[in-house]
Amino acid sequence: MKVHKLFRKTLFGVLFLFFLILLSTSLLWYRTIDRQLSEEYETNSRNIAKTIADSSVDILLNRDLSALQSLIDQFAEIQSIDYIYITSETGEFLAHTFIPGIPEDIRGSDPNNMELVERQLRNTDGCSPGACLAGSFVEVGSPILAGVAGTVHVGMNTDHVSLKVQRAIGQQNYLISILVVVGFLSSIWFVNLAAKPLGDVLGYAVALARGDAEADAGAGRVLERDDEAGHLARLVGHLSRAPAAADGPERPGADGDPVQG
Amino acid sequence: MPDVTFLRPTSRTMPRAVATRAVNRAIPRAEAARAVNRTIPRAEATRSVGRTISRTEAARAEAARSVSRRHVLRSTLAGCALLPAAKGTASGAVFGAAPGPAAHGRGASAQAPIVLGVSAAFSGSSRGLGIELYRGASAYFEHVNQRGGVGGRRIDLKLYDDGYQPDPSVQNTRTLMLEDRVFLLFGYVGTPTVTRVLPLLKKFQDDNFYLFFPFTGAQPQREPPYGDFAFNLRASYRQETAGLVNNFVRSGRTRIAVFYQADAYGRSGWEGVKRALERHGYDLAGEATYRRGAQFTASMRSQVEILQQGDPQAVICVGSYNACAAFARDAVDLGLRAPMANLSFVGSENLLGRLTGLPDSGRYTSLLVNSQVVPSYHDSSIPAVQEYHDMMDRYDPQPPEQLVTEAYEPVSRSFVSLEGFLNAKLMVEILGRLGGNPQRVDLERAVFSVRDFDLGIGETVSFGPARRQGLQRVYYTKVEDDRFVTLEDDDWASLGATDASA
Repeated sequence: MKVHKLFRKTLFGVLFLFFLILLSTSLLWYRTIDRQLSEEYETNSRNIAKTIADSSVDILLNRDLSALQSLIDQFAEIQSIDYIYITSETGEFLAHTFIPGIPEDIRGSDPNNMELVERQLRNTDGCSPGACLAGSFVEVGSPILAGVAGTVHVGMNTDHVSLKVQRAIGQQNYLISILVVVGFLSSIWFVNLAAKPLGDVLGYAVALARGDAEADAGAGRVLERDDEAGHLARLVGHLSRAPAAADGPERPGADGDPVQG
Repeated sequence: MPDVTFLRPTSRTMPRAVATRAVNRAIPRAEAARAVNRTIPRAEATRSVGRTISRTEAARAEAARSVSRRHVLRSTLAGCALLPAAKGTASGAVFGAAPGPAAHGRGASAQAPIVLGVSAAFSGSSRGLGIELYRGASAYFEHVNQRGGVGGRRIDLKLYDDGYQPDPSVQNTRTLMLEDRVFLLFGYVGTPTVTRVLPLLKKFQDDNFYLFFPFTGAQPQREPPYGDFAFNLRASYRQETAGLVNNFVRSGRTRIAVFYQADAYGRSGWEGVKRALERHGYDLAGEATYRRGAQFTASMRSQVEILQQGDPQAVICVGSYNACAAFARDAVDLGLRAPMANLSFVGSENLLGRLTGLPDSGRYTSLLVNSQVVPSYHDSSIPAVQEYHDMMDRYDPQPPEQLVTEAYEPVSRSFVSLEGFLNAKLMVEILGRLGGNPQRVDLERAVFSVRDFDLGIGETVSFGPARRQGLQRVYYTKVEDDRFVTLEDDDWASLGATDASA
C-alpha cells in the first residue's frame, strides 16, 4: 500500500500515538492488577493460614501428626499455595509440604514470625529443574492457640502473580495490537482517499504544463469535483490560460470566479 | 434383570467382578463423582468394578444404560458376586444392599450375599498393593463361597479404584455407603486415603458402617475420634518404626534418617521414627521427602544428597515400592551405603522386583531391611501360611481386569497377599459370629466376641472396646538369594557390614 509523501509524518504520528496508548494502558493495568492480585493472594494466604491454625488445635492436642499432614495437604492443593508448614511453640517442624526437604532459608527463619516475609529460595545442588522449591515467595503466619501451640506458615510464589498479570496484560496487548494494526491500515486508506484528488490535481497541472491537458484522463474527473480539489484544478487551469488572456481585453474573473466554479 | 449384569466366562473358578458399566451412567451422582475426579489426573481411573470386560459385552452394556436406576443398582450389587454363584443372584436380593430393613433391620433374603465394599489402589504407581491385597483376600473368600458361604450367604466384593488418591477414595466410599449400600467396608489401601474416609464413617455412624482391616498402620483409625469406626488387624506403623529404631540403636546405629512420602502416610512413619529415637535420646539424622505417585524412573538424587549431609548409619523409608526402590538405587549409586529399612506397606516383593531388575542388583538389595506385619510366607510350617499357599494354588486369583488397565504382573506369593488372605479369614470368622441374619448393628458385638482367636500364625487375635487392633507382632526380613527371609536378632549388627565399612 503506497503512502503519499505528504501524509507520512501524519501516519507516523498516528502510529506513535497508538503505541503511547498501548504502553500507558499496559503500565496502568500492570500496576493495578499486580497490586490487586498481590493483595488478594496475601489475604487468601492469611485466611488459609488462619483456617489451618484454627483447625489444628484439636488435632495437635488430641491426634497424631498424620491427621495434621492430611489437613495441610488438602490446602496445599489450592493453586496459589506453594508450601505450608507448621511449627511447634519451640520451633520444631511438625508437618510440612516441602519436597525433597525443608529449604535452609526456612529452616533458619524465626518460626514464630507472623509478619509477611519475602523469601528467595534457590535450587539446592543436585536438584533437577522443577524438583525443588525455587523462586520468589511471600509467606504469612498465623498462630495456633494464640501461639502457645505453634504457628502455621503459608507461602505463595509471587511468580503466580506475575504470571497472571503477564497473562492479563498479554491479552490486553493482543487486543490493542489488533486495533493498532486495523487502525493504522485504516489511516493509510483514509489518507490515500484524501490524497488521491490532490494527485489528480497534480497530474492535471503537469499535463497543462506539457500542453496535453485534454489527454489527461484524470483532468475531467478532477475538474468536475465540487470540493477543494476541484477548485484548485480549475484555478490551475485558469492560471495556465492567464498569459494568453492578458493579450486581450479580458481580465481574470471576468467570466466568473474559477475558484468559485 | 437380563442384559444388565454381565458375567465373564472363565475356565477358572476365580471370583470375577462383572461388568456393569451402565451403573455410573444411570446414576447422576456417580456422574458427578467422575466430574470431581477429573480434577485429579489419576482419578480418571476411578470407576466401578463393573467396567465392560469384553467387546461383545460392551454392546450389551450400552443397551443397559436405559435401565432404571433401581434396576441398575440391584444389578450392580448382584453383578459383583463371585463368579460361580453370581448367576444365581443376578435377580435376587443382595444382603446389605437394599435400603431399609436389609440395611438396618431384619428380613433380608436368606440367600442374599454379603457385600463388602472396597476402595483401593488398582491403578497408579502403588497398584501392586491394592491388587495383591485383593488377590490374597479373594483366594480365601472364594474358598468360603465354594463351601456355601457364611451361613448360606456368599461373600461378594464391590470394588472401586481410587488410585491411592484421597478424593476418589472419599467419593468411592460415599457411593459404597449410600448408593451400593454395602454391608461393610473392607480392605482399603493407604493412609492418605483412609484418613480422609474416616469422617464419612462418623457422619453415618447411625447406619453402623465399619471399616475392616485397612492396609495401613497409621494412627487415625486407631485413635479417637475415629477409632471407633475401624477395626485393624495389622500392627501399627508406630510399632513397626519403633521396632526398627530399637533394633538399629541396639546394634549401634544411632544416626537414623528418614526418607518419606510427603503425605499423611509419610508423616505417620516420620512421627513414629522420631518418637522412637527420642525415647533413646536421639534425634533424626536427616529427613527427605518425595511426592506420592513417584515412579521407579524418578530421580531421588536430591533426597539422597540431603540425607548424606547427616551421615546416617541407617535410613528408614516410609513409602511405596516404586519410590523406595528408586531411592535405594540412587542411594547406593551415590555412595550412601547404610541399611535401608522399609515398612510393611512398601510391598516387599514389588520393591524387590524393581531392584533385581538392575545390573549387579546385589549391591542394592543387600542393604534392605523390611519390617512385616505377617510372618514369612516362605515358612510353610505355619498353618495359616500353608493354607495360604494351598488356596493361592487352588484358586489362582487374578487381578480385577476391569480395574487394572495398566500392565501388571501378579506376584505369585507376597507378604501383601498373605495379609489380604488373613484379613479375609478373620472377616469370615466375624461374619460367622453374626448368625443367620447378619446385621450391621451387631458387627461391633461380633468383633468384640473375638478373643484369643487362633488365626494360624502363632499369634492369637483379640478385640475389645479398648483393643481395636488384632495383631501386635512385627517381623523383620532381609534379602537373600533375591527373596525376603527372616532377619534374626543376631543379624542386625552385621547388616551391610562390608558395605558399611566402605
